[in-house]
Amino acid sequence: MRGRRAWVFAALGLAILISAALEVGIGPVSVPFWQIPTDTVRYLVGDRGLDDVVVGAIRWPRLAVALLAGSSLALSGCVLQAVLRNPMADPGVIGVSSGGALGAVIAVATGLSSRLSAATPALAFGCGLAVAVIVYRLATHGRRTDVYRLLLAGVALGSLCSAVITAILDLSPLQEMQQMMFWLFGSLDGSDWREAFLLAAVNAVVLPVFLRFGFAYDILTTGEEHAEAVGVDVERVKRVSLGLAALIVGVAVSTTGVISFVGLIVPHILRRVMGANHRPLLAASAMGGGVLLTLSDFVGRTAVQPAELNVGIVTSCLGVPFFLYLLFRRGRGRGAWR
Amino acid sequence: MIRMEHLDYYPILRDICADFGPGELVGLVGPNGAGKTTLLRAVAGLLRPTGGWVRVMGEPIHARKPGWRARHVAYLPQFLPDDIPFTVREFVEMGRYSHAPRGALTPSDVRAVDEALEAMGLQPLEDASLAQISGGERQRAAIARCLAQEAPILLLDEPIASLDIHYQLDILARLRALAAEGRLVIIALHHLELALSHCHRTLCLHRGRLVADGSPDEVFTPALLRAVFRVDARPFRDPHTGALRLSVSAAIPSTPE
Repeated sequence: MRGRRAWVFAALGLAILISAALEVGIGPVSVPFWQIPTDTVRYLVGDRGLDDVVVGAIRWPRLAVALLAGSSLALSGCVLQAVLRNPMADPGVIGVSSGGALGAVIAVATGLSSRLSAATPALAFGCGLAVAVIVYRLATHGRRTDVYRLLLAGVALGSLCSAVITAILDLSPLQEMQQMMFWLFGSLDGSDWREAFLLAAVNAVVLPVFLRFGFAYDILTTGEEHAEAVGVDVERVKRVSLGLAALIVGVAVSTTGVISFVGLIVPHILRRVMGANHRPLLAASAMGGGVLLTLSDFVGRTAVQPAELNVGIVTSCLGVPFFLYLLFRRGRGRGAWR
Repeated sequence: MIRMEHLDYYPILRDICADFGPGELVGLVGPNGAGKTTLLRAVAGLLRPTGGWVRVMGEPIHARKPGWRARHVAYLPQFLPDDIPFTVREFVEMGRYSHAPRGALTPSDVRAVDEALEAMGLQPLEDASLAQISGGERQRAAIARCLAQEAPILLLDEPIASLDIHYQLDILARLRALAAEGRLVIIALHHLELALSHCHRTLCLHRGRLVADGSPDEVFTPALLRAVFRVDARPFRDPHTGALRLSVSAAIPSTPE
């Protein structure tokens, strides 16, 4: 398994390079890959042609947001799957993303966001966390978290949040409505460096904590009772993990809108190829989530030119069949983690 | 090592008093729903008594931190999921959590894991996936994980239920060897005959109360077997082995209460 892990990381590194070249190089204005460095340098030194501006001011920040938001979603998916002991968990599936989007829409609709730029991610985090806590409470009876209650409660609260978002949009002036529409189906349009830095900062805080809990996540696959028996403070690990997962999802959603299934697909595939050991799995999920979101965005931008599809539509097209496959494979008595 | 003082856990356990010392293999018996699992969980410090105390090494265990509890008491719950995606060695390493919570194992952690694998005869299987081995081997792996905790007290909930007779006797013999090394081993058991033949001491729970505590031949009287387990039975000496056995003749029809 150890040699295989090295190959997985090498492959992911290569995939990041390739997806970066595609994302930065290709679009309505295409730049050959070998010109990307020179265009970037020319943009930075201020000697700017059209190509240089497209590369430097639009594509690079878009790539950074795609990589970091994808990494946030995959990390939170991986952690939710571990602490809820449920391989079907995903921030989108259990409603946290919709909660986050609701927070962001409230921030914009009330005008808070124009007065204070941190209001959007902060409210997104708050509402996402609230949904996570409510869903978790509803699904937990005594000391057990029931998988099906969790999924159903997540679907119900997610729909409620989407309904409230739609209601807010209906009541908003047309111009604001168009501005807020993308929160329902995520998009990377208009990504800028400020968003990329915010995502990078949150990831830099959260990832080390998740890695520290890696061994505890491994142990949680054997069940909460067993985890308690070997000395894991299960409640603390769950609380901190849910809170931080809601934080990175909230910040990701406030910049990109709801993008589902990245958090489901990436940890799942990686767990298959590199095993369930969570420290390497978390690191690889962060990389793989970035790759998947970047490639999905590339497909969305180029598949139906000159129109562009929201990246959330592309990930849903990939994710729904995957979700159904997992659901039915589980039903046939296969273990949940394999 | 363990002292229970008027332990209550409403409404499951009532007024339980007992002391346990090192070197004992204790069988905890009782019909379904008597409170065996709850009693073990209370001793492991995983639930807070509604009355009385469980003291381990003189300390009220439910008030201590999880790490302290796991270093003093190794508790094995009855059910282990059958889809754990780790190898036998990785699973046994999980027993070291209270010593190395980040998972960075030191040489002394590795030694403890090696010894636990050896004590359960698992070295040939250490790289096998937990999902691929037999139920008996998985149970041995689970006990090895408890041993890796290097706790002086082992609490095992039904460690031989659903195993075939070979593994039942194999595991009981290994547990007796562990007790002989000075550990305190308490097991919840459904097999009365095996409790009779293998345990040094037997505790019998009935509807949350401790109704008997002593050596197996003191505990398993025809009157107790009748009142608690609702069977007509009497102990006898096996003419071949000299061990105590049970001659069970009939279930007593339930009477409406």
